[in-house]
Amino acid sequence: MATPLGERAFAEHVKSKLDATFQKINDGAPGVSGLAKFTKAWMYGREFLFPRDIRTQERKEFDQEAFKETFEILGKSKQLWRVIETFTQDLRRQLPLIDEEVLEFMRQYQETEDVTIIRRMIMRVAEWWKAWAPVPELGSPIMTAFNMEFQTHFFSILPPTFPSAFKALCASTLGQPADPEMWQTFETLGLLDRYENLVASVCYEQIEARVQETCVGEWSQPMLSQLRSWMADDIVQWMIMPYARAARNPEETRSMLHGVGSRFDFHVCKTLCDLRTTEIFDIIVDFPDSMPALIDLKECLQRVDQRSELVSTLRSLYDHLLIELLANRKRLLHPGADTKDILHQYVSMIRCLRVIDPPGVLLHKVADPVRRYLRERPDTIRSIVSSLVGEGGDLVDENEPIQPLHVQVEDYSDPNWEPEAIDAGPEFRTNKPSDVISTLVSIYDSKDLFVKELQVLLAQRLLAITDGNFDKERRNIEILKIRFGEAALQVCEVMLRDMTDSRRIDQHVQSQKPCLMHPTIISKHFWPPLQTGKLQMPGQYKEILETYSKEFTAFKQDKKLRYLPQLGTLDLTIELTDRTLDVHVPPLEAAVIELFSTKDEWILDDLSKELNVDSSAVRQALDTWVDYGVVSEDKLHHFVLLETSESGSAAGPSRPAAPRTDKSLKEFVGKPAVVENEAAPVMSAQQQEAEQMRVYWKFIEGMLTNLGTLPLDRIQTMLRFAPGYSRSIEQLGVFMEAARREGLVVNTNGLWKLSK
Amino acid sequence: MKVTVKNWHAIAHWRWDLGANEPENDDIDGEGDVCGICRVPFEGCCPSCKMPGDDCPLIWGECTHVFHMHCLLKWINTAASKHQCPMDRRPWVTAERTVAKSKPTQEPPLANAPPLP
Repeated sequence: MATPLGERAFAEHVKSKLDATFQKINDGAPGVSGLAKFTKAWMYGREFLFPRDIRTQERKEFDQEAFKETFEILGKSKQLWRVIETFTQDLRRQLPLIDEEVLEFMRQYQETEDVTIIRRMIMRVAEWWKAWAPVPELGSPIMTAFNMEFQTHFFSILPPTFPSAFKALCASTLGQPADPEMWQTFETLGLLDRYENLVASVCYEQIEARVQETCVGEWSQPMLSQLRSWMADDIVQWMIMPYARAARNPEETRSMLHGVGSRFDFHVCKTLCDLRTTEIFDIIVDFPDSMPALIDLKECLQRVDQRSELVSTLRSLYDHLLIELLANRKRLLHPGADTKDILHQYVSMIRCLRVIDPPGVLLHKVADPVRRYLRERPDTIRSIVSSLVGEGGDLVDENEPIQPLHVQVEDYSDPNWEPEAIDAGPEFRTNKPSDVISTLVSIYDSKDLFVKELQVLLAQRLLAITDGNFDKERRNIEILKIRFGEAALQVCEVMLRDMTDSRRIDQHVQSQKPCLMHPTIISKHFWPPLQTGKLQMPGQYKEILETYSKEFTAFKQDKKLRYLPQLGTLDLTIELTDRTLDVHVPPLEAAVIELFSTKDEWILDDLSKELNVDSSAVRQALDTWVDYGVVSEDKLHHFVLLETSESGSAAGPSRPAAPRTDKSLKEFVGKPAVVENEAAPVMSAQQQEAEQMRVYWKFIEGMLTNLGTLPLDRIQTMLRFAPGYSRSIEQLGVFMEAARREGLVVNTNGLWKLSK
Repeated sequence: MKVTVKNWHAIAHWRWDLGANEPENDDIDGEGDVCGICRVPFEGCCPSCKMPGDDCPLIWGECTHVFHMHCLLKWINTAASKHQCPMDRRPWVTAERTVAKSKPTQEPPLANAPPLP
């Protein structure tokens, strides 16, 4: 048996609770009238809020008075939350009513793909929503609860195809008149919050499509501004609906769109930037025409941090290109054109990247492999220098201001100072005002190499001048002086003055005693080493030389002339029995033909002895005359003069003089690819080096004779004592290896000795 | 056959005529003598000059030593020189050229030497 005491206490407790509740509900009204009133109100409230099936039942009339009274009573007795709870439960029970309709709409959509069905569906769901929504007078908690219940259910029944359908619906509104009602509904149903990404992606896709459509391969006009105005005209207009419906005036619209707008603007930049990055190689190739594309890219890069992508794209492109080149599978099939083409490409790249990134950080990062590659090529300097002096190269832009090659010193007081770009490496040095040439010259550590090569080139050009007009060279040197500094080009200055002096001297000599010869008299120490030889000019030439020499000494009493007999050119007239030839030939050729005027038949060796010239060179000279059809080789090494032209071979007229003359000219201009060693009048820097090494060979030979065998490093140490020796041990190793191939030395266990 | 020269563009270089003791047919490659003071070839120019040749002439001493004129004058103008030839310490006397001169003014006497740059 339960304790009666406990039972009673429980009963007491229940009773007191019941009383309290009754009191609360009855609100001190007489009898149970309060309770009855409450019950009525409760019934009315529930009835009022109850979510009906709108297909079958009309919504009840909204009675302001009854409503007010009802909820006053419910509020007073603090039972409002119970009403809400009941409403929520009712709602849960009723919600599946919409399922049928929603699914039907979706089914239709899947069949037709017609987005208006989706719109209709959403509007219909909104009708349900409106019918069920509690009146706002009930306060926001009930509204929130309702929305949550409603949306949760609505979203849960939507099939997986809905998001794409919704996106299609959004996209379909682009360019259409605004549809505020629909967007308002979207928001009401929480669709905008839930599918915000979808709405944004509609924009993103529009942007991407637009970029693809209008910008691919279109480099000749600035696209970014066009894209932006397109954004402003088409997209922003649309964006007002999803993002700034609530705006009451343009001011508000602008501020509401600001955040989202800049997001889309970023996307425009990023898309364009991606596109241009993939196109960058062709943009560079197209350079001057692709300027607008570069400016776009620059602007995009400022907005979007994709510099590293650009760098890696460029680098992989160039790595690829260079690997191809190195593997001899050239993009450009002319082996001879390589260096020039690479240089050209490099220069375009310099110009392009300078547009994108004036401080040159990008260039610094990208250019390294190209520069390394160029440094390894033997004719890079020559190519650069020849374009410096304006010879067949558009590497140098005429309009570019010429700037001295100064090592930049940091100017701490520069008010326009800007920090280096964030991706600049530690070895990066800002060299702000550097032009293309400075960048090219900086491929090499010192500019001396350039000056040297320049000197060689200048010498070649000056020596080839016969009409005394070297204004172009003078102008070039003046320009180059600004770049390389006066001092570095002093030597060139002397060379130019030699030219003027030669002319003056010649004018004087001619006035004293007219002479057919007009020599260029040079100051030997200021010219690059010239090809020397001991050619003895025979016959009339000798007289001319001597006469001139005498006249010169008469004019310049304390000076003498020393001819470089193998250099220069002669214009000759060759009169033969049946024809006359006018030719333009080097002295050796002239000397050879002169000898034929004394004797009709010559043996190669005799000619060689007579002229004091190596027989292979004489052979070449003879070939010239064979080409002209003046001489023929009737037996091996035996040449006869053809006083009358050989009709059979018909060499003379059918092989005109032109090609040969061309060649002799070319020898002067010194195209490295075609020059035979002995033909180039001026030794290239490389040949000079070989020449110097020959001197050192004497030393090496001496030490190996005296000391027997020596390791490479001992040879190097000893050579250091030789004046002017500046080779590295690696270079020496290469040289010794070459000597070994020639059979001069043998190498056993790293020890070198002379071969017996 | 007759070969007629119409025009000849030859290349030559000049050298100082240092007198008869020089072999006429000397090696064309020869670096030539250098000035005893600056160690630059006579055909080059002294350190203070930029242009070789007439702008930087030579000077002969009676002791037969030859220098760039500028080099020697600079030396002579120092107190330490005591007006001696730097090679043999004999009193410096500017010599007439070994080669006969038609214009004696070409070799300026020491007293009228132009101021040094």
